[in-house]
Amino acid sequence: MRPVLPYLGYALIVVAAYIFLAAGKPTLVSGLFVVSGLAVGSLYALGGIGLVVLYRATGVLNLASGAVGAVGVMLAWELQQRGWPQAISWAAALATAMALSLLYGRLIAPGLAWRDPIVKAVATLGFALIILGVTTFLWRTDVVRKFTLPTDNQAMMLLGLRVTLTRFIVVFATVSIVAGIWFYLARTRTGLQMRSLANDRDLSALIGVRILRVESIAWAIAGAIAGFTGLMFGDLLRLEPFVITFMVIPCVAAAICGRLENLGLVLVGGLTMGVVESLLTFSPTLKNIRPIAPFFIAAAVLIVMQRGHQLVFARDE
Amino acid sequence: MSKAIYAGILLAGTFLAPHIALAAPSCGANTGQAATGKPIKVGGIYGAAAPGDFSAASKAAGAYFKCVNANGGIKGRPIEYLVENDQWNPELAAQAAAKLVGDQKVVALVGSGSFVEMSVNAPFYRKNNVMEMASACAVSECFESSNIVSTNQGPLPSSIGAAMYAVEKLGAKNVVCIGLAIPSVGNWSCGATEKYMQSKGLKGASVLLNPASPDVNSGLLEAVASGADSILVNLPAGLANAFLAAAKEQDLRDKYSWTSSTPLYDVSVPKALGDYWNGKVYVSAELTMLDGKGPDNQNWLAVMNAYGKSTDPRDTFSQSGYLSAKYFVETLLAMDPAKLDDRGAVTAAIKAIKGKKSDMMCGPYYVGDADRHMPNHAGIMVVIKNGGFEKVRDCFQYEGPYFAPLLATEKAMGLN
Repeated sequence: MRPVLPYLGYALIVVAAYIFLAAGKPTLVSGLFVVSGLAVGSLYALGGIGLVVLYRATGVLNLASGAVGAVGVMLAWELQQRGWPQAISWAAALATAMALSLLYGRLIAPGLAWRDPIVKAVATLGFALIILGVTTFLWRTDVVRKFTLPTDNQAMMLLGLRVTLTRFIVVFATVSIVAGIWFYLARTRTGLQMRSLANDRDLSALIGVRILRVESIAWAIAGAIAGFTGLMFGDLLRLEPFVITFMVIPCVAAAICGRLENLGLVLVGGLTMGVVESLLTFSPTLKNIRPIAPFFIAAAVLIVMQRGHQLVFARDE
Repeated sequence: MSKAIYAGILLAGTFLAPHIALAAPSCGANTGQAATGKPIKVGGIYGAAAPGDFSAASKAAGAYFKCVNANGGIKGRPIEYLVENDQWNPELAAQAAAKLVGDQKVVALVGSGSFVEMSVNAPFYRKNNVMEMASACAVSECFESSNIVSTNQGPLPSSIGAAMYAVEKLGAKNVVCIGLAIPSVGNWSCGATEKYMQSKGLKGASVLLNPASPDVNSGLLEAVASGADSILVNLPAGLANAFLAAAKEQDLRDKYSWTSSTPLYDVSVPKALGDYWNGKVYVSAELTMLDGKGPDNQNWLAVMNAYGKSTDPRDTFSQSGYLSAKYFVETLLAMDPAKLDDRGAVTAAIKAIKGKKSDMMCGPYYVGDADRHMPNHAGIMVVIKNGGFEKVRDCFQYEGPYFAPLLATEKAMGLN
């Protein structure tokens, strides 16, 4: 029963928000906002899952994942403007994100391996700002751009809201990544080694786990997820490096909803954040503070879920 | 004609065409002689940092001043144009003003463009009796201060122009204005649009988007829930693009009429919006069309080609920066040369500007000694079509309660 409690907690938050904010509204209208919130929440969850996958394997909270994704989608847009086939541009985006992630994972991260988790996280923030600087230098910020996917044109109605195939892909990909990563960590040898690293890096080294190799795989997987996330953010939010880079912040909140380890809770937490943020639009008083909803929920989750557990940033201590 | 002669003409034409497409620029005294005297210091403050760049106006003003300096300057004296970037930081904006006005002793500020600078520095300019002839303003303080006058319209008149078009030409009865939840910007401009609608006995509403929120869907749904029949997008171009993309996702194009304030009048917008919005989004333009054939607009393009960089934007803010600089130079040229370094005399001369006309601006430009300045409150409408823009309505005067005191001032000055 205990593992189900957090999921029930998130469901309770959504129900409470619905009753408090949407009571008295026509179901058709409030349904639109719920579906819209689920669409945004799935983006938070997708970004959060990428963060948790890497954190579980390496102990690094990668604040540069948004910036890496931004470079990928900007490159994809650029290649499409130059007439390259779409499939190649997407592959280039994923490859670039993986390469940048690996670059950091092989060259910089090992040098910080024995530092506190918070130091490792701040170092990735520096990497993010460098990437953002280069990206905004290469692609001027005052030009309006639009990145589209062929799946944007196919849609179905859900509770009165038109939901595109791209948004379904985000939800499907998020669930698939959760399942795929769970299977990988639980059933494969490198997955086992990643769990071993996450548990105790020193002991793992002593028993012969090839730390650099395992961590490189984790950085590459995280890079690929960041690249995919960047393509989705570029299409569904805005093709602006600044916006995509700092989407990592609500994604961190989603990751915290899963205590940086439970992918299922990241998914449900992200969706909860999206729905609550969307429902806040109904309140004339609270709608102006909608962007802080993810952090409010994350803070509440930290307070409630930390009781009797280790601190989120204390796993290596 | 022999093939050789024909080929020669063709070759010569190929090389000469770019140079004869625009006449040589005409600037200031237009003497053709470089100015060599003691420089006259003029300042400018712009905001350029992620996520926006408002430097186009000061770049155009700088290009015009270079052209003036190459053509006799101000009675033989060149203009030294000192520009600072506030990086959207109020503290840096205050430092920039202190540096230019206090340390460099500039006689005026010209071509400024920022979301931040004017709100921070308006009292400072009044206290120091220095005028700012701004060109890229967006906040209320820019138009409601004694020592700032801007050539561009800002979001308020531009939005009212769009709403007027929606009512008069598209049959709108209920317009919802989508603005930014930034004090002195969204509530100010969308609020005035609501009052315009009320003054016509119609309905108006506002939906303010938080620029920090990545989600625009909720704003769109709120607009839909308002019961409006027309949606007025009053957002920076990037956010407006995202908002229209969300509307496209819901296939709302034909369920509403769509208008926008000026930010969507940008050459990169039609391609970014795509075919879906072709012929459906009507945009309020603050100045003449970017390819306008009038002498001032052609001279702006010629100045930018000759004295600007190829990468400098050729947009509304650039037009506005050029026009502010031109009026400033004309004002200095008409002054007593002995008083060109006297800031008080320059301020008085700027405040005395009255009835200047240009093919770039619908109404007359004036300043006057008043607590508010908004000389540009008439505009044109364009529609996004075939990858570009087409004019659908020529100059028209904006209406609504907000303009009543301005029109009274103009009447007192004998301008209308």
